[in-house]
Amino acid sequence: MQYNFKKIAVVPPASEFIDAVLSRTQRQTPTVVHAGYAVTRIRQFYMRKVKYTQQSWNEKLSRILEDFPRVDDVHPFYGDLLNVLYDKDHYKLALGQLNTARAMIDKIAKDYVKLLKYGDSLYRCKQLKRAALGRMCTIMKKHAASLAYLEQVRQHMSRLPSIDPNTRTILVCGYPNVGKSSFMNKVTRADVEVQPYAFTTKSIYVGHTDYKYLRWQVLDTPGILDRPLDERNTIEMQSITALAHLRAVVLYIVDISEQCGFTIAQQAALFHSIKPLFANKPLVVAINKIDVRKLEDLSEADRSLIDGMRDAMRGPAAMQLGDDDAFPIMSTLSENGVMEVKNRCCDLLLAHRVEQKLASRRAGEVMNRLHVATPVPRDNKARPAYVPPTLEASRARKAAGEKIITEKDLQEQNGGAGVYSADLRKRYMLENDDWKYDIVPEIYNGKNVADFIDPEIEAKLAELEREEEELEAKWEASRMDREPQEPELDEDERALLGEVRTRRNKLVAEHRRKKSAANNNPVVPRKADAERKLNTSNMKESLESMGLDASAAVERARSRSRVVKRGRSTLRDRDEDMSNADGEDKKKMRTSKSRSKSVAKRVGDDKGAGFKSVDDRMRAAKLADKAQRKRNKQAKAGEADRSIGNTLPKWLNSGKRGNGKTDRR
Amino acid sequence: MAARHQFENSNEIGVFAALTNSYCLAAIGGSENFYSVFEAEVGGEVPIVKASLAGTRLVGRLSVGNKHGLLLPTSATDQEVMHIRNSLPDEVFVQRTEERLSALGNCVACNDHVALVHPDIDQETEEIVADVLGVEVFRQSVAGNVLVGSFCKFSNQGGIVHPQASVLEVDELSSLLQVPLVAGTINRGSDVLGAGLLVNDWAAFCGLDTTSTEIQVIENIFQLHHADSSKAVRDIRASLLDTLV
Repeated sequence: MQYNFKKIAVVPPASEFIDAVLSRTQRQTPTVVHAGYAVTRIRQFYMRKVKYTQQSWNEKLSRILEDFPRVDDVHPFYGDLLNVLYDKDHYKLALGQLNTARAMIDKIAKDYVKLLKYGDSLYRCKQLKRAALGRMCTIMKKHAASLAYLEQVRQHMSRLPSIDPNTRTILVCGYPNVGKSSFMNKVTRADVEVQPYAFTTKSIYVGHTDYKYLRWQVLDTPGILDRPLDERNTIEMQSITALAHLRAVVLYIVDISEQCGFTIAQQAALFHSIKPLFANKPLVVAINKIDVRKLEDLSEADRSLIDGMRDAMRGPAAMQLGDDDAFPIMSTLSENGVMEVKNRCCDLLLAHRVEQKLASRRAGEVMNRLHVATPVPRDNKARPAYVPPTLEASRARKAAGEKIITEKDLQEQNGGAGVYSADLRKRYMLENDDWKYDIVPEIYNGKNVADFIDPEIEAKLAELEREEEELEAKWEASRMDREPQEPELDEDERALLGEVRTRRNKLVAEHRRKKSAANNNPVVPRKADAERKLNTSNMKESLESMGLDASAAVERARSRSRVVKRGRSTLRDRDEDMSNADGEDKKKMRTSKSRSKSVAKRVGDDKGAGFKSVDDRMRAAKLADKAQRKRNKQAKAGEADRSIGNTLPKWLNSGKRGNGKTDRR
Repeated sequence: MAARHQFENSNEIGVFAALTNSYCLAAIGGSENFYSVFEAEVGGEVPIVKASLAGTRLVGRLSVGNKHGLLLPTSATDQEVMHIRNSLPDEVFVQRTEERLSALGNCVACNDHVALVHPDIDQETEEIVADVLGVEVFRQSVAGNVLVGSFCKFSNQGGIVHPQASVLEVDELSSLLQVPLVAGTINRGSDVLGAGLLVNDWAAFCGLDTTSTEIQVIENIFQLHHADSSKAVRDIRASLLDTLV
């Protein structure tokens, strides 16, 4: 989470605020209305003004309420800092008042819109609008003080240093004038003001420094005096807030020279009185101004006081680092030891943070990438790395600047990419270099040469074949055991079998002949007559049972499946039979041999009737027959059947004639 | 040193080349640029073979090999096998395998002593890997991926595995392979290490997108400049942890 208070919008003073909102209403809503308008339109006009004004207030106030951080929601450090600097109660009250004002304005707008619905003239509507806007403005005027206060707070907040409470932080603290700001100036580029009097630094300053590839935030706090908490002033309280809430390394600076005006005893007393604030934080006590007075020059009493502080310094993190006993000493004037102190602070804090983070759940996701697994030996086998013996020499040659002619160089010399064709066989490692460019056939004597690349291929093949034979023999033997053998056929049985086969073949041939003789005649498909009842005998029976003579019908039906004979004699016979059967004396055509038949002019049918030749015509007829055959067999309609594509043609059934008056032909 | 390298605008150089301690296979490209980088870096020590496999340029993914041998898929043609066999020294066995999982480079990861193979690979292929490459073979998966050849890469000196492998898994693999291992990425965060990285015991090539941090990790873990493999990580471990967690 980022804490950036610089983006809070300006809070205007009440009068400007009112002007802004009202002029906005004026600009953004229609301005012309006449008494002659319908009263609903007039009401609409004024309602819109009231509503629009309310919306503007609401927007602007909401913006202010959102922008200002809520003391209870921000990081406790900022919460307390806001409290110290601006008085939490006052701050909350101001925001609360604005919130109430917003609600009241909403209420007013609602009420007056309701009243406007009953406005019966332009004048009354206008008065209602005036009253509504007036009341809104009055409310805001009443909160002028809050707005002014919030604006001041905003200005101050936007100047607060942007402290990230969660990052790595070095918190420098101590009595006034012990050299906190000097330290800050040495390790960062913050350029804090340094003056030789107490409380030069009146607020928290931030600087940044780098250590171990990380950014570190250094906080310079105002000096603290040793007195009870309730007597501390705002400047001191800022330091206390930072000490209390930031998870930082605390650098407590002790002025060994006592030039700051506080004795070592006083400084030790302050250290011990604010010690509770250092709980659970890494702590470094640094001795400053050693250029003025050496550590060795201290009196026995002071020495023991400093040792007392050192004992408190030993936190768990220090133990982990295996810290030595050396007291961090520095001189911010001569810059002696400043970096050591900084590094020590950073190391302590980093160890502390890593320790905490390792315990967290998220550490596992990252740990695997930071973990180098070293193998546990599982046997005594050596698995050495292989480095070619020529490597050192060739590296040395390369370092000496020897130029290797690579394929790329050759390519450039020989026309560049796309033109140069590299020689793939150049580096072949063969027994005899003359063989490099020998042409090896892929196929030789019908065999794939690559299959015979092995010199022992023959032997291997023989071995494989032997194995296969063995396997086959074994399988054969086992098959004998598995399956019972059938005895061979004797002479008679064989003859019988021959007869059976001949007979079968004959039947098949007969069937085929009949089938072809039936030609294209339709048969009733099996599907339509599953029980095979639709035959002539059944038909005859059924017709005769009805008392009809069925012979002609049967004849006609049979003729379809019978081979049609040609010839006059049969025809005539049949005709006679039929006439006898009918019992009618039919008129018969008399022919006289004497009258020579008139012969029609022969049309040369050998010409092929539109085809190229007779053969073509025959072939076409055959093809047409064949195409028709299947359909005929299934008794389907063919192209010769009459069909009416469109049973209700539009032209016949529309128009003046009425419905279907005319036949289509 | 790990050199950044590219094949015709592709960072996946491990697809188009294969590097072992005794030879290097490189795809036949449009120009000699790809080949010549290998020639300049490792040309003095090992033969570099321009080859195709099954008519494709994917020599790195279709084949697998180490110092002792080279396994080719069944789809490699007779002529390709003959070309490779002629170009390699006699000590290197070249063998084709009838393996259903024909992208051997994806299914097998090996150094000169140990190999990890896809759990579903044929029993027969496993034996061939053991015989031809002279390695101990373990059926393994890396961070839940069965394509061990794609998701880890190791030499005789060290190795790098899929970034999502857990600490336990990396430790286990390390004990199996008997080399130091680290989980890492290549080609600016890509987890297909086999495709982005070519490495043997003294040289390494990585895709052009590889960041300097990734190269640093590679050089350390594969001991390419004779440094303690874990030193770099140890130095910045605390800083990384504080930033990342």
